[in-house]
Amino acid sequence: MPLIQYWRVLPRPLRIVAGRLIMIVPQMFGVMLVTFLLVRLLPGDPALLMLGNMATEEQIIALREKLGLNLSVYEQFMQYAGNVMHGDLGVSPFTSNPVVVDLLERAPATLELITYAMLLTILIGVAFAVISVIRPKGAIDYGSRVYGLAAGAIPDFWVGLLLIYFFFYVLGWAPAPFGRVDALVTPPPTVTGFYTIDSLLAGDLNAFFSAVGRLLLPVLTLAIVNAGALMKMTKTVFADAYRSDFIRHQRACGLSERTIVRSALRNSLPPIITLVGFLFGFLLGAAVLVETIFSWGGLGQYAVQAVINSDYAALQGFVLVAAAFILVVYLVVDILYELADPRIKV
Amino acid sequence: MSMTISTNQEAPLLVARDLSVKFDGADKPALDNVSFSLHRNEVLGIVGETGSGKSVLARALMNLLSENGRITAGDVLLDNQSILGMDDNELRRLRGGRLALIGTNAKSLLDPVETVGSQIVRVLRAHRGGSKRAAWREAVDMLSKVGIVNPERRARAYPHELSGGMAQRVVIAMAMITSPQVVLADDATLGLDATIQVQVLDLLVNRCRELGLGAIIITHDLGIVAHFCDKVAIMREGRIVEIGPVGKFLSGPTQAYSAELLEAAKVRPTPVVREARETSPDVKRTALLDVSNLVKHFPIPGTNEVVRAVDDVSFSLARGETLALVGESGSGKTTIGQCLVRLLTTTAGRVTFDGEDLTGMSEREFRQRRRRIQMVFQEPYVALNPRWSVANLIGEPLALLSAAGSVNKTKRIRELLDAVQLPVRLADAYPHELTAGEQKRVGIARALATRPDFVVFDEPTTALDIRVRAQIIDLVRDLQAEMGLSALFITHDLNSVRSLAHAVSVMRHGKILEYGPTETIFASPQEEYTKTLLKAELPIEQSQVQRERAERMLVGEMR
Repeated sequence: MPLIQYWRVLPRPLRIVAGRLIMIVPQMFGVMLVTFLLVRLLPGDPALLMLGNMATEEQIIALREKLGLNLSVYEQFMQYAGNVMHGDLGVSPFTSNPVVVDLLERAPATLELITYAMLLTILIGVAFAVISVIRPKGAIDYGSRVYGLAAGAIPDFWVGLLLIYFFFYVLGWAPAPFGRVDALVTPPPTVTGFYTIDSLLAGDLNAFFSAVGRLLLPVLTLAIVNAGALMKMTKTVFADAYRSDFIRHQRACGLSERTIVRSALRNSLPPIITLVGFLFGFLLGAAVLVETIFSWGGLGQYAVQAVINSDYAALQGFVLVAAAFILVVYLVVDILYELADPRIKV
Repeated sequence: MSMTISTNQEAPLLVARDLSVKFDGADKPALDNVSFSLHRNEVLGIVGETGSGKSVLARALMNLLSENGRITAGDVLLDNQSILGMDDNELRRLRGGRLALIGTNAKSLLDPVETVGSQIVRVLRAHRGGSKRAAWREAVDMLSKVGIVNPERRARAYPHELSGGMAQRVVIAMAMITSPQVVLADDATLGLDATIQVQVLDLLVNRCRELGLGAIIITHDLGIVAHFCDKVAIMREGRIVEIGPVGKFLSGPTQAYSAELLEAAKVRPTPVVREARETSPDVKRTALLDVSNLVKHFPIPGTNEVVRAVDDVSFSLARGETLALVGESGSGKTTIGQCLVRLLTTTAGRVTFDGEDLTGMSEREFRQRRRRIQMVFQEPYVALNPRWSVANLIGEPLALLSAAGSVNKTKRIRELLDAVQLPVRLADAYPHELTAGEQKRVGIARALATRPDFVVFDEPTTALDIRVRAQIIDLVRDLQAEMGLSALFITHDLNSVRSLAHAVSVMRHGKILEYGPTETIFASPQEEYTKTLLKAELPIEQSQVQRERAERMLVGEMR
């Protein structure tokens, strides 16, 4: 009882964050259970599957021993959980690197790509939606309608190829679509894994501009494809808010148009936050085609390779990282959502 | 007094000259040659039924019509300056700065995700600039001036945490904070209970008089006009039918329509015969509903305190009897109603219905009883699914009855439409296509669909036009007589209590203060609070103060 009383007197934002953070523990446990079962549930002998048809009897027995397959399921899970806690996700037989090393190299590449893509998506989607609502029948309004129709229909790899054709091949404005920095530029020392940030931290402007240049086209590709959905939804929500009674009243109170737009946008935030969170989580794996076109060396490519090669350790690692990432994104979404709307009870 | 005399010789503050407004696609103009003038220190009442163009007028005066509306002719002059010739920036400063609008349903007028204090600050700074800190102090100060207790804390509240009356005061504070020249109150007290209505209007009119502002009160309550206004304009179909001093209008309206309106408002229905008591003394004593020591607490977020919304309330209700619960908003009336139909769980106490204890029942057991216990919700439009047709809405509760074939269902929907006097052609209409009165009727039909024994009516007559309100009262009276319904009637409309309820419980702060037969309570109230409540009912005749004021103004004009 006294515990509940402490809880009630906490300020609302603190209760929101604390409540969500506590939930992350069982959720993470669930994720580990699922990735563990992912391999155990495959038909046949995991050791055989992992080693392939060419494996010798001794190798299989050795791997079974190593994987602890002769232990009970409960013990196996404890062992797996223990390994994960220590950052041991096994070794990929194809890259012969520990999976953790591979993931640590590739995850930042994808994260950098989709983070900037998301920021640009929000900028394009929200700006177009707002302008087309407050200036109906203007050029932006008509343009955004055409775009809204087209955006759902064009595949991302095609947009990527078009951009490469025009901006790299025809106009020569963009750098070649090969990786995250120019081959002649040394990547900055890893701090965050984001080349744009690391190069600035290292004071290496050359690497910075090279990284930004390489990011331009793939980020633009992802933003163009995904901003359409965000724009359409924002438009609906924002138009409702913009025509509501309280906005009319604000206008009757003589507030400036800027204040009014901001207030209407502030009121349309909750669904926007949800969709952005969803898109962000979705892009982690869905950016794979764009990654491939731009030889990005990201997570999506790694996962596809792992599937093609039946590389179970790598796949397991990818699923774990992806699930943890999505958990974090949704955690942030939930927290922002409740902060954005004071009417939600915590 | 000398001021009153001098002001009337000045040029009028606000003039509407042959103002006409048309909406795209409408055959008839929404406003048709409307002319009037408003002086400093004058209160003009504009009266009309829904659709008469009162609200359009208010918006046209600020040059703030919705996209498809245009001022086709005429002009509006504020201090001899035409508002039609103003550029965007001048208009922005006019709205809220010189001409402030106080709208209906204050809760929907406030930004739901901002604290009310910062919303007032926003308005003040839009017109006068200044630091946030100073503006916040002024906002808190203004909140206390409009009668909000604990303004420091309330300023940090969000709109959904306020009651309707409190939200209305916030909107008034928003209008007053810029010290405008003219205040437009568009049905500003609609839906508030009588005591609050009088307080809010007293406050509004007194502030206007203190500062020498002009005020326009748009309403459909002639009691308000009689009590607060100097001049009255009667509107119908976009035209001003009659305009003149209030005293003159009340003693003898010159037009047939205004006379009819005045007559309809003056009607005081006689109380219903107390059939339940008359039939047989044995039947009447079996209580259908018995509530004993009901308690409902709500936790206050951010603290460990609770609001005692219902604080140890007991009453009982005989078969065929109607009990009215009256009191200010926040007195716990609606909470009791919602506890009875189990929309809220009770904190303590017992509710016995037809001999069975409802409070101890599981949700599943209670579902069986829902057929017999129904509720008519306060805001009909909010309570109806906007995507369902009337027939579906009325048909939905029929699913609670076990044997309802589709043929039977259609027949029953017809019957229900008849019972609430809705034309059959409305069966396919959607809620937004209905008028407020028709929506109320659909709400009532939904509640009656399962032939309940007991119905909770939550504010069935609020926010309705005078003539529609009278019709709803008649409807409920007929239903009581025909179906022998027992009802709990939650309201602050004392006039309808007199014509509908057998007994009255007066509530305040979650407790029942006074209980008794309707006639007794109205004739000789015991509690001081009940007397205040009864006094807040505005009679349709001018008060002494207003009469004297009118005489002074007349003298002034003649000099």
